[in-house]
Amino acid sequence: MSDIRDIMEMERPSTEVNRDSFLANKKQRQFERAKTTKRPEGMHREVFALLYNDNKDAPPLLPTDTALGIGSGYKQTKARLGMKNVRKWEWAPFSNPARTDGAVFHHWKRASDDNREYPFAKFNKQLQIPTYTINDYTTHLRTNNDWTKAQTDHLFDLAKRFDLRFIVMADRWDRQDYGHKSIEDMKDRYYEVSGILQKLKGVTTAGSDKKLYTFDAEHERKRKDQLNKLFDRTPEQVEEEQMLLNEMKKIDAKKRERERKTQDLQKLISQADREEERSAQNLQNSRKHEKKLYKKKLQSQPRPSRAESVVNAIEIGSTGIKFSDLRGSGVSLRSQKMKLPANVGQKKVKALEQAILEFKVDPSPPPTDEICNAFNELRSDMVLLCELRSALSTCVYELESLKHQYEADCPGKTLNIPPALQQPEEDESKNIDGISDISLREA
Amino acid sequence: MSSGGMLYGGDEIGALVFDPGHHSLRVGYAQEDTPKAEIPSVVGVGQTDEQPDTNMDIETKIENNNVTQGGKKYYVDTNYINVPRSHLEVQTYMKDGMIDNWDLFEKVIDYTYAKIVQSESVYHPVLFSEASWNVRNNREKLIELMFEKYNVPAFFLVKNAVLAAFASGRATALVVDSGATHTSAVPVHEGYVLSQAVVKSPLGGDYLSMKCREYLEGQKIDMTPVYKIASKDVIKERDVPRYTTRTMPDSLTNSWQNYMLKAMLQDFQINVLQVLENPFDERAASQIPTVHYEFPTGYHQEFGSERFKLAESLFDHTMLGAGQLASTSVGMCDADVRMSLFGSVVITGGNTLLAGFPDRLNRDLQHRAPSNTRLKMISANGSVERRFGAWIGGSILASIGTFQQMWISSQEYDESGKSQVERKCP
Repeated sequence: MSDIRDIMEMERPSTEVNRDSFLANKKQRQFERAKTTKRPEGMHREVFALLYNDNKDAPPLLPTDTALGIGSGYKQTKARLGMKNVRKWEWAPFSNPARTDGAVFHHWKRASDDNREYPFAKFNKQLQIPTYTINDYTTHLRTNNDWTKAQTDHLFDLAKRFDLRFIVMADRWDRQDYGHKSIEDMKDRYYEVSGILQKLKGVTTAGSDKKLYTFDAEHERKRKDQLNKLFDRTPEQVEEEQMLLNEMKKIDAKKRERERKTQDLQKLISQADREEERSAQNLQNSRKHEKKLYKKKLQSQPRPSRAESVVNAIEIGSTGIKFSDLRGSGVSLRSQKMKLPANVGQKKVKALEQAILEFKVDPSPPPTDEICNAFNELRSDMVLLCELRSALSTCVYELESLKHQYEADCPGKTLNIPPALQQPEEDESKNIDGISDISLREA
Repeated sequence: MSSGGMLYGGDEIGALVFDPGHHSLRVGYAQEDTPKAEIPSVVGVGQTDEQPDTNMDIETKIENNNVTQGGKKYYVDTNYINVPRSHLEVQTYMKDGMIDNWDLFEKVIDYTYAKIVQSESVYHPVLFSEASWNVRNNREKLIELMFEKYNVPAFFLVKNAVLAAFASGRATALVVDSGATHTSAVPVHEGYVLSQAVVKSPLGGDYLSMKCREYLEGQKIDMTPVYKIASKDVIKERDVPRYTTRTMPDSLTNSWQNYMLKAMLQDFQINVLQVLENPFDERAASQIPTVHYEFPTGYHQEFGSERFKLAESLFDHTMLGAGQLASTSVGMCDADVRMSLFGSVVITGGNTLLAGFPDRLNRDLQHRAPSNTRLKMISANGSVERRFGAWIGGSILASIGTFQQMWISSQEYDESGKSQVERKCP
């Protein structure tokens, strides 16, 4: 408990409150209370609880709701501030082991924690700057003709003073006595010398596994040059650059537009061609049919050949997958090249997956440049294959139905389909030629 | 040393921090947040044979040891200088950001220890700030003075730009300091000034005061300072002032009168001048509300666009504008540090309190900095923090635990002499 006597530093018996004394105190009071308040016979507990049954203290003069007094807070007359006696501070001398001169300064410290080492001394970190003797220099360090001994000495002195802050070292470099040196020159020389010295030491002590730092001065100079160029751009240059970039973007956009247009145009032309072909065919067909009509009188309407359109569609070039060209969109992963473009339909994707399973191809090979291209080509071919397969099956179906029709029309006769047109049972890959034959004949 | 001290890294050893400038010398104990005193950096030199008023007899009277100037009386600090006395010459001890007149400076230090610190100099280590372009001779003289005459237990000297950067919590910064006589841009890299890239111009608060004086003279406005005026009448705006003057001691010196006039002009400058965010444009300036100012004579009027025109002179010089200074300074640094310098531009000095100064500097720098740089201005909001930036940095530095090994102690001084200041105080 602290009060005016503490402040006045008067001696008195220690009344420091500790856990035990505090608890003892509490117990005692509880005992007292138990003695003074007794529930009268026959009175209900709830009613009794309403009665005033404190230890009949006068109300406190000031709130004593200290952290200590929680629980007994408002019942005490005396404020209890703090558990411990105040600890003394003193203006004491100290010496800093980080200093070499043993100077003594004064600061405030607790009287209790005496004679510890100055706590900030441990932050006194020093860089290990290598040193060399004249012998070392003459035998090993005369490697660089741009640097004299005096200059090297000055460099190492600066390095020690400024803890290898080369920017500051270059700033404080004595130009009058030692000539001009750039930061890169300094770094180059410093790391050269320290590397040599370390190697020398490595010979003597053998097995110091510290890594040698090699400084690539040429690269640094180039980098700094470029950085300087970047900084030294005038606003006009920056503007021009921006303007050129914008122009390039515009040209790119135009180019893309033109490509799109030519594609559209080509599509239109091929469509028109097809139309023409088809109309010519229709004309032929109708003529034939007319003749037939005259001949047979009874003739079923010609069914529009589905096979034709399918084959045509394949021929026209919706075959394969166009993989998007990633160039121009900045940095990207190469594996992105192998991603299927979004415009590939769900059906195609399914078919492709099946084909990949069928041929036991790794669905995601390591994306090297070659593999990327080959894989893309492969998948493109697979899609083509699938389309051709479906076209083939359509054609075969058509053929069969024609045969049946023929047999129905001319009972007793069978249509001999030439073996070339029979659905082949061999390997698919060989048959692409055969299929085109079919389509040709169909056409 | 408490655990709290360890936590924040502070350890205070009763050091004093001195921050001399052209306008004033700031003095106080390290670890406090404001200087104890701001003493004008001028000294009044008067004759001793003249009897001062009895109640003015508290000024520091120091016997001058200098033979040629025997019989002089020196007046230091505002309370003593601002009293009109005949034959009182006002002299400054500063020149070009450095201490020049050492005799006068000693008088001020004497006064400081006697009246402000009120304690023996042997008990307090001393941290001094200096201009970034301070010369070796001056530094050695200062350390010699402090150790030989004042017997300080330890001494240290730091560039004021470094301290200002520290006050803003930066070790790397471009410090743009606009004071009374100079505006300077000083790059600080990891606590060291890059001395080859320091750029300064002689445009500061005093230059503005001069401009104001020219302008007011041109307007034929009566600039009688307040000390001459006994009473004045309330008059209408732009009316001829009616006031009565006091009787003055005869033969007031010119230097003293100018000093008092400058104080009045500084007040005018603080209250009226403002910098536009964009280069001066009559039309834009006339849109901004006018400011009312009453002179000591009672004369008062509104000031409109001219208050911008006057302040513009700090920026419109193609070579010496503050923005130009800063960008030139950065341009002289190594390309590797330019980004970090632009990333923390610390604005300090009393003249930067001129309304709109930081905004204008920001705009000018933005125009000059390469387009892809991240530009950040750091300017303390309070006028105390802005004016005493370097002092506050010194106060912080001298009360840091790890700094206590840096002091040049008196033992070291006795051993190696004054020349070590070049080595130990970079």
